[in-house]
Amino acid sequence: MSHHKLEVRELHFAYPDRHKAVNGISFSARHGESIGIIGANGAGKSTLLLLLMGILLPQKGMILVGDVEVTKKTLPMIRERMGMVFQNPDDQLFMTTVYEDVAFGPRNYKLSEKEVEARVMTALDHVGITHLKDRAPFRLSGGEKRAAAIAAVLSMQPDILIMDEPSAGLDPKSRRRMMGLLQSFEHTKLITSHDLDMIYDLCERTIVVKGGEIAADGPTVEILADEALMDACGLELPFALQNCPVCGSKAMPQQHQHSKK
Amino acid sequence: MSNISEALYNMRFMDDLARRNTLVHRLHPLAKLASTLAFLAAVVSVERYEISGLLPFFFYPVIVFALAELPIKPMVKRILMVEPFIIGIGILNPLFDQHIVMLGGVAVSRGWITFLSIFIKCGLTVAAALILLATTGMDRLASALRMLGIPKLFVLQLTLTYRYISVLLEEVGRILNAYALRAPGQKGIHWKSWGSLAGQLILRTFERAQSVYGAMCLRGFDGEYRTGDGQRFCTTDLAYMAVWVMFFIIVRFVDIPGLLGLVVTGGIK
Repeated sequence: MSHHKLEVRELHFAYPDRHKAVNGISFSARHGESIGIIGANGAGKSTLLLLLMGILLPQKGMILVGDVEVTKKTLPMIRERMGMVFQNPDDQLFMTTVYEDVAFGPRNYKLSEKEVEARVMTALDHVGITHLKDRAPFRLSGGEKRAAAIAAVLSMQPDILIMDEPSAGLDPKSRRRMMGLLQSFEHTKLITSHDLDMIYDLCERTIVVKGGEIAADGPTVEILADEALMDACGLELPFALQNCPVCGSKAMPQQHQHSKK
Repeated sequence: MSNISEALYNMRFMDDLARRNTLVHRLHPLAKLASTLAFLAAVVSVERYEISGLLPFFFYPVIVFALAELPIKPMVKRILMVEPFIIGIGILNPLFDQHIVMLGGVAVSRGWITFLSIFIKCGLTVAAALILLATTGMDRLASALRMLGIPKLFVLQLTLTYRYISVLLEEVGRILNAYALRAPGQKGIHWKSWGSLAGQLILRTFERAQSVYGAMCLRGFDGEYRTGDGQRFCTTDLAYMAVWVMFFIIVRFVDIPGLLGLVVTGGIK
């Protein structure tokens, strides 16, 4: 299916204050690929996502989803194929109940109410929050809100999922649950995060962004293990690859014995 | 912060009530909206010296309260919360209008009568609005407003305000906490900081509005607020609406307390 392909060519974008947030980024994503986008604060990750979704339009360069270029005219079609989960679920849950919120997208695409209901229930079931369907969004916990926001995007049945910091603000168990959920998706995924351990677990490929440009692009295991590269881009090795916090040895605690207990 | 969380709790309370499943809750939102509007029009149009004419209108809130199984105490508390404003508006009436009338053998100034009538009207109208919200919910109410042809911009404004008031309150709470933590021993907020606090809040609101709008656009929002096909308007809805509208018309134009009085005193033979 060619429309799962995403291609970005020589993307340039500057904010009205002339701050160049994205400065010639190019990459392409294959069908079903899971890509982590990492970088220090202000590196241009969020701007890149907004450009991909057509909330901002690039000054130079182009974005192709399948074989269609992202322009003002093609936006409705593009947004049916790409779903974005925001960093702050409160920005995304604007209806009064979870059900209404998940139904918002399908209804805008003028589906019949029967089809809308089927889609909503499938999406809620997929993220495991069917029991919350009549609850008001502000009554949910952080993890539940995140799940609802993901369901709201899934109900549009997108081919490509874009996620901005999906693990931000989640407790360890909710984070683990959310990661399991993302792992079960067969969509093409683009995930930005500072949670490098999550990227390490979820994405086979990683793009490092620095100063609006791509500093590195390759297999996650190589990129995240490159201490010099990480350091130069304002990042660190994932905890899983750092030294043992107890004795400083290179292997993790469960893999070796400590001399003193 | 405590009053802010209390305000949040209050809002959630109304939402919870709206999700119940009683005879009144199941009715079409348009039927309830139309009856409420008819009720408001009838109550407001009652002459300001005519208190007895207002009394039969109490049937409406009392009956709907019972049918919708609404809890009386918290609802009455909410109605009374509005009354202080009305006292503020009407309190000068007894001073300005000191014309004395005889009421059942007691001399009363007309100002007190108008004051009492404003007080009762306020209670009735607020009760009707709260009942509508507690039995319908904001989403269905919005769809009913759209059916009545209210422009989508206003309806959208209403629903989004309702949804985001909680987020805004939390934001205000955070700003106030941050202020209080660095201004020990101060009561309230110093007037010099009012401007920057309000400015902060408005900037955050803009930012929030921007991202919410972005999120809506991403899911195909084109300016039309869709809440589904909704339920069909059936005979029960029509009957509910017709019965109430008829009742309001009769009560408005026929002096029922007066007639009752005549029956009791044997005035009608």
